[in-house]
Amino acid sequence: MILTNLVPLIGIADIIVGLSLGSRLFLIAVGLSLIFGVLGVLNFAHGGLYMLGAYFALAVTTSIVDNFWIAVVVGALAVGFVGVLIEVSTIRPLYERAESDLDQLIVTFGFVLILHEAVRFIWGSQPYSMDPPAVFDFSVQIGSQFNAYRLFVIVMAFFVMVGLWLFVNKTYFGSLVRGTSSDREMASMLGVDVSRLYTGVFFLGAFLAGLGGALSAPLQSMSPALGDQVIIDAFIVVVIGGLGSMSGAFVGAMFIGLLQSIGPQFIAAGHIAIPFLAMVLVLLFKPEGLFGGIGE
Amino acid sequence: MTTVLKTKELQKQFGSLTAVDRVSLEFDDDEITSIIGPNGAGKTTFYNLLTGVLQPTDGKIWLQKNGDLKDITTLEPHEVAQAGLSRSYQITNIFEGLTVRENVRVARISHDNSRMDFRSRADSDDEMERDIDDILALTNLEEMAEVPCDELSHGEKRTVEIALALSIEPNVFLLDEPTAGMNPTETTKIVSLIQQLNRDVDSTFVVTEHNMDFVTDISDRIVVLAEGAVLADGVPEKVLNDERVTKAYLGSEST
Amino acid sequence: MSSDTEGISDRVTAFGYQAVSEGWTRQRVSILVALGLVLLAFGPSFQVYLFTEFLIIALFALAFNLLYGYTGLLSFGHGLFFAGGSYGFAIVLRDLGPVITDTVGSALGPLITIGVGAIVGVALVLVIAIPVGWLSVRLEEIYFALITLAFGMLGFSVIIQNPAGITNGTDGILVLLGTIELAGMEIRLGDRQVYYFFTLAIVATSTYAIWRIVTSPFGVVCKAIRESPDRAKALGIDVTHHRWMTFIISAIFVAVAGVLMAGLANVASPYQSHWSTSAIPVVATVIGGATFFAGPIAGAFVYLYVRWGISRFPALEAHWELFFGALLIAVVLYFKAGAVGGILVLRDRLRKTMGNKTETDSETGGENR
Repeated sequence: MILTNLVPLIGIADIIVGLSLGSRLFLIAVGLSLIFGVLGVLNFAHGGLYMLGAYFALAVTTSIVDNFWIAVVVGALAVGFVGVLIEVSTIRPLYERAESDLDQLIVTFGFVLILHEAVRFIWGSQPYSMDPPAVFDFSVQIGSQFNAYRLFVIVMAFFVMVGLWLFVNKTYFGSLVRGTSSDREMASMLGVDVSRLYTGVFFLGAFLAGLGGALSAPLQSMSPALGDQVIIDAFIVVVIGGLGSMSGAFVGAMFIGLLQSIGPQFIAAGHIAIPFLAMVLVLLFKPEGLFGGIGE
Repeated sequence: MTTVLKTKELQKQFGSLTAVDRVSLEFDDDEITSIIGPNGAGKTTFYNLLTGVLQPTDGKIWLQKNGDLKDITTLEPHEVAQAGLSRSYQITNIFEGLTVRENVRVARISHDNSRMDFRSRADSDDEMERDIDDILALTNLEEMAEVPCDELSHGEKRTVEIALALSIEPNVFLLDEPTAGMNPTETTKIVSLIQQLNRDVDSTFVVTEHNMDFVTDISDRIVVLAEGAVLADGVPEKVLNDERVTKAYLGSEST
Repeated sequence: MSSDTEGISDRVTAFGYQAVSEGWTRQRVSILVALGLVLLAFGPSFQVYLFTEFLIIALFALAFNLLYGYTGLLSFGHGLFFAGGSYGFAIVLRDLGPVITDTVGSALGPLITIGVGAIVGVALVLVIAIPVGWLSVRLEEIYFALITLAFGMLGFSVIIQNPAGITNGTDGILVLLGTIELAGMEIRLGDRQVYYFFTLAIVATSTYAIWRIVTSPFGVVCKAIRESPDRAKALGIDVTHHRWMTFIISAIFVAVAGVLMAGLANVASPYQSHWSTSAIPVVATVIGGATFFAGPIAGAFVYLYVRWGISRFPALEAHWELFFGALLIAVVLYFKAGAVGGILVLRDRLRKTMGNKTETDSETGGENR
């Protein structure tokens, strides 16, 4: 009953926009969640990696070849490698330390600063934009207007979600990931090269963030502040959905995305505060998140 | 002989696993009791239940305080400690970043109830410093009083472990494998320390151990736990000659 | 050397003699420092401002480290209390200032207003910190960091929304300190030199208070909790309660820093509650060395003065973020003792080469082991 009253106020377009926002949040959040679930590292720099994905894609289209699809793939892979660099050089040395959680958080925060500065140095502070691929670059009219590319992003997020689920639950590497996340020592005793596994997971997480950034580039303007804007949203999603849970990241991301697109229409004041309030409540009452557990 | 610690039908389930199975025991003052059993028999879980780290699935625990037996089953760990039950850990758990003296001082501050005092200097209370000196003397730690604990040898750390538990002047002292990981020299030192403490200090000692020489040397009474339940309970000669006990040990390894 | 009957002038003389005769002793250094602090007030106006800002950030970081270095809890939301102090102060000045000045007269009115503002700022933070702290200390490590981050950002979003028109949204609230008349002289309270001495007095007092706290039984228990919360519990310490108390005390001193900041920057801004502000004491403390009492002070110094230094060279294009990011990582990975640790190592080396053994300063020199 409440829904039918709301529907005239919420256009389908708003829902699509919200879901596309949620989709890009999902791509960052799921990588963040994966890295935390397996490595126990809360990667503050994940927003920066997302931002790099967008800039790398832009760089490819302007300097190498003006093909959106290649740009996205190359951009995401490049970010994956940046992730590997970060993990191997600064996070790996910290695993052995007791009380390493907070140290790792501080180190990743160092990278927030570095990435922010690096982007500003290379590309400058002015905002950039990127065009959607021609095949999707048209408007759709349902109520109000939105770009069809948004639909593509939503579909992509869905495919990534399914792909990840299959990967973690059906492949050998995925089973290693699941096993190691629950007991690192056990896994290494069973002969798993935990270091390489961790690096691999970090690569995957970073790749996903970069993919999210590259895919979202046509939908938002890029500036060096992008990473900072997005990381807080990612934290909220990951806390609400559950650190380590993929379905949690999906649901949480869509929730926040919809809240951002529809919220301002209903709750004029306070819509910024709601996600943080939700974050506090989840941390207090269900710290493992609404979904909790990896691979679920 | 009064009862200082008592459990009745104490039970702990982890899902379908019964870690502690209807354990009913009474410990009297002036008695050293050793709890032995094969690995996985539930000794450390039992200690965790007694000290409030774990909540029992069933059963009750009483501790003597001021002449009465007080029900401590649902108390938090710090409340249990305040009630007079102290423990040492199997895996050394002391304040590594602090010196030996500071370690003892923390315990004394807690005992003297001055933890909310933020106006005086921590080392300015002469009476407390004398108490700390006494404890260090009792445990033969005077020489290394100013050494940070992360620089001590394993045996010395285990001694600090005992000194800490001692410092809150407990009624009952739970020692969890005090000789764990020690070479023979260190073991002898700890054994004589515990014997000396038993003479000098007015507490009841309950010790879990694998080291049989230690057990036979100092125990007045031995309780055998196997698979979470009490298998045997009595004076050493009787218990160690009990067939069921030797069978339980042959079934798994003992050190 | 001195007995109880010697007067103050005798003691000062003895102090001076010691200072002069025994080379680089503590006494000599402290006289130089005191002199320097006074002379600074007569330096270039911008330097006075910068140093005042340094003092405030140092207090912010010291208060933060009470929770982090001493008790082991990393808060990423301390900006909430910084903003609380600033806004409490600013609102009193804006809304109650005229009333007070009308009642008490314009000679001393502004001074009283500042006093009331400061008290309100700290009281406001106390009211916030008690429940926020109670809730937050139930969580550990990363989760504590996350919930404090959330509370800080919650504060930010509430301030920006301008509830009941009090906070003035993104623009913040303007803070004007006013002028008073004392002994026939007109003193402009916002004057940089005046405000510098005022801040110096308050920060010095607060620093001393924090020092007293960390060396008290309360502080020793904090350290124990940092080392092993389980062990502390087994010794009868209510760890959760103690953390809560430490949280509140930390917040109070951050509020003081917030009040001072509002007076210096002449504004209370919502960004003070943003996580980017909360990150400042984290960066300062880690770089300075969280295991030393003076670490946060050194770190605040590095933070402000390196930033300023880099900004003087247009070629570096204000790349301070890159520098600090790298420094942060380097400190965590290779040199957890931070800047203060480095200074102590240098000092010991210097001592060895000069064969100077006049002082019995222990190696730990203030380390909060």
